[in-house]
Amino acid sequence: MTRKVAFYGKGGIGKSTTQQNTAAALAAVHGKKVFIHGCDPKADCTRLVLGGKPQETIMDTLREKGEEAITIDAVVNQGFGGIRCVESGGPEPGVGCAGRGVITSINLMEELGAYSEDLDFVHFDVLGDVVCGGFAMPIREGKAQEVYIVASGEMMATYAANNICKGLLKYADQSGVRLGGIICNSRKVDNELEMMLEFTAALGTQMIHFVPRDNIVQKAEFNKKTVIDYDPNVNQAHEYAELARKIIENEMFVKPKPLTMPELEKMVARYGLMD
Amino acid sequence: MGDTKFCELKPKDRAGVINPIFTCQPAGAQYASIGVKDCTAIVHGGQGCVMFVRLLFGQQFKENFDIASSSLHEDGAVFGATKRVEDAVDVLLMRYPEVKVVPIITTCSTEIIGDDIDGVVTKLNKGLLKQKYAGREVHLIPMHTPSFTGSMITGYDLAVKDFVEHFAKKTEPNGKLNLLTGWVNPGDVTALKHLLAEMQVDATVLFEIENFDSPLMPDKSAVSHGDTTIEDLQGTANAIGTLALNRYEGAQAAQYLKSEFDVPAIIGPTPIGIRNTDIFLKNVSAMTGKPIPRSLVEERGRAVDAIVDLSHMFFADKKVAIYGNPDLVIGLAEFCLDMEMKPVLLLLGDDNPSYKNDPRIKALQENVDYKMEIITNADIMDLESRIKNKEVELDLILGHSKGRWTSIDNGVPMVRVGFPTFDRAGGYRHPVVGYAGAIWLAEQMANTIFTDMEYKRNKEWILNVW
Repeated sequence: MTRKVAFYGKGGIGKSTTQQNTAAALAAVHGKKVFIHGCDPKADCTRLVLGGKPQETIMDTLREKGEEAITIDAVVNQGFGGIRCVESGGPEPGVGCAGRGVITSINLMEELGAYSEDLDFVHFDVLGDVVCGGFAMPIREGKAQEVYIVASGEMMATYAANNICKGLLKYADQSGVRLGGIICNSRKVDNELEMMLEFTAALGTQMIHFVPRDNIVQKAEFNKKTVIDYDPNVNQAHEYAELARKIIENEMFVKPKPLTMPELEKMVARYGLMD
Repeated sequence: MGDTKFCELKPKDRAGVINPIFTCQPAGAQYASIGVKDCTAIVHGGQGCVMFVRLLFGQQFKENFDIASSSLHEDGAVFGATKRVEDAVDVLLMRYPEVKVVPIITTCSTEIIGDDIDGVVTKLNKGLLKQKYAGREVHLIPMHTPSFTGSMITGYDLAVKDFVEHFAKKTEPNGKLNLLTGWVNPGDVTALKHLLAEMQVDATVLFEIENFDSPLMPDKSAVSHGDTTIEDLQGTANAIGTLALNRYEGAQAAQYLKSEFDVPAIIGPTPIGIRNTDIFLKNVSAMTGKPIPRSLVEERGRAVDAIVDLSHMFFADKKVAIYGNPDLVIGLAEFCLDMEMKPVLLLLGDDNPSYKNDPRIKALQENVDYKMEIITNADIMDLESRIKNKEVELDLILGHSKGRWTSIDNGVPMVRVGFPTFDRAGGYRHPVVGYAGAIWLAEQMANTIFTDMEYKRNKEWILNVW
């Protein structure tokens, strides 16, 4: 059975980096077959896996060559660890409807049978926030059944994560989608671990892994690689392997209980102002 | 034939659409939905997506058809409008206790904002239908028909498949034939059922729409509906075979039944004209093992007799333009060719990429020995401008009422055929398919040309001695 997984999180939190490093660990360390569907109009969800190779997106192909030109061969590329990658792409900034682009591209991939049955994981890497119906496409009926939210101990990241939980809750009843956990991508803010543990407990979920901050991630990114590809022996590679293992073995799937804004502010302030 | 290509298939070479030939996808899904008994569709979108479509149905049949709207407003477009679907289902079920089948048909706006109607259906099935309507048989069927792709043709095709996919259930073989008629009139269904009855073949007709020609009854019942039942749809999986008469209107459902339940399928040809009706009867015979009876040979003979009286004397080399539903247009073009006419312009109102693979279009391209244009994504202006610029000199137009002013303004006689036909009385009652359809079409064309000869004082005296 293919597990379809959606990654959400505040813009700039390191969501695509974490998603790709996790995918690389799933493939290279745990021998899983992974497919990444990038759902960010910026089309930057697969560059580390593909070694920076600019990928022609589904929307580029649709715009320039028409729907008939979209085949699996034309838009799906294979990268590190045999991971198959596709990018939705989208309109130029400021025009059109990026959300509809996500709907169209996922529909097209389903019609073409790109999410084949031999896959262990399909990752949907979705931009920033569940801003409209289009960006909830990956968690609709029959699509991703589990969601991981990438967050950190920063106020706005927790705020975004909480908001994403509200979006998720809306779909939990109708599509059966569940929250698998919060991945803390550490920003080294004060009392980060403690706050995340309290935050995730309040949401009724788990902090599935605390990914420490390590400059090797940046270094690997400059080299257009995931950490495991760049240097499989560094500690950070083991951290991603551990995160991947926890996802494989995860059995805690919940309907989150989002916090109210005053509750959230109180919690963040308590940890942030602690000395 | 040498190197000259006589028959070109090409898209319209002008931007924009002036007087469209088709309306959009939800209209096709709505036309399929009114063919089902105890069925009222909810169109999830602005009210116009229902109102203008109901108006077309009303114009076509001079009858009233029930279709509901979720009535999307500004707030729904901003905040998401799935709640309006939930409310619409509840109100519809409360108000109409007999309703069992509720297709939920999407539109441009609700597809753009990403309303998850499949999710809503799951939610309603688990909630509202289990609680408030416990014990009542209700089928909610999501149908995705954004208007910015396809046309009313693809919408119809998709809806037929969605109906079949929702209901079809394998149990015991029922010995019946599935007859997917495509987008036709009550007169066509009567003609097709007549042919099957003569062959003693029992068929499930999708859809049973003879009652769109509704009697005015003493109880003053004012709403028309089709008569295809849930049981009919369930039984499609148990048929001995499926005949989908139209390649673009119902073929998807036939393919689904074949791949899912191994029900053999024959797709096309649309039985317009003698040649195609012959093939249809042979297909029925091959699938059921029943012979073609002498009564139908006589019926064919009468049609051939009617046509030979007309074709060489009045139809030969007459130049015809045809527009409308693709299977209708292609079928009419083939029939015109068989009657020695020259269809010079075929206008198809959408840009379906599979037209170029249509064996009938390929056959036209291989065999036509004069200049014929087949324009995709066409509009009625494509006809109008060619007449005005004298690119074509037409003797006859075959098409629906939306082109009536092209006929009137340019003095080209026109036979009304297709959807919507509202400026001639009783069009829906007459078939275009089968031998009966061949007779009706040939005689309509002849009488229209005769009237034109008289009106223009153009060799009208010939008819004195015919």
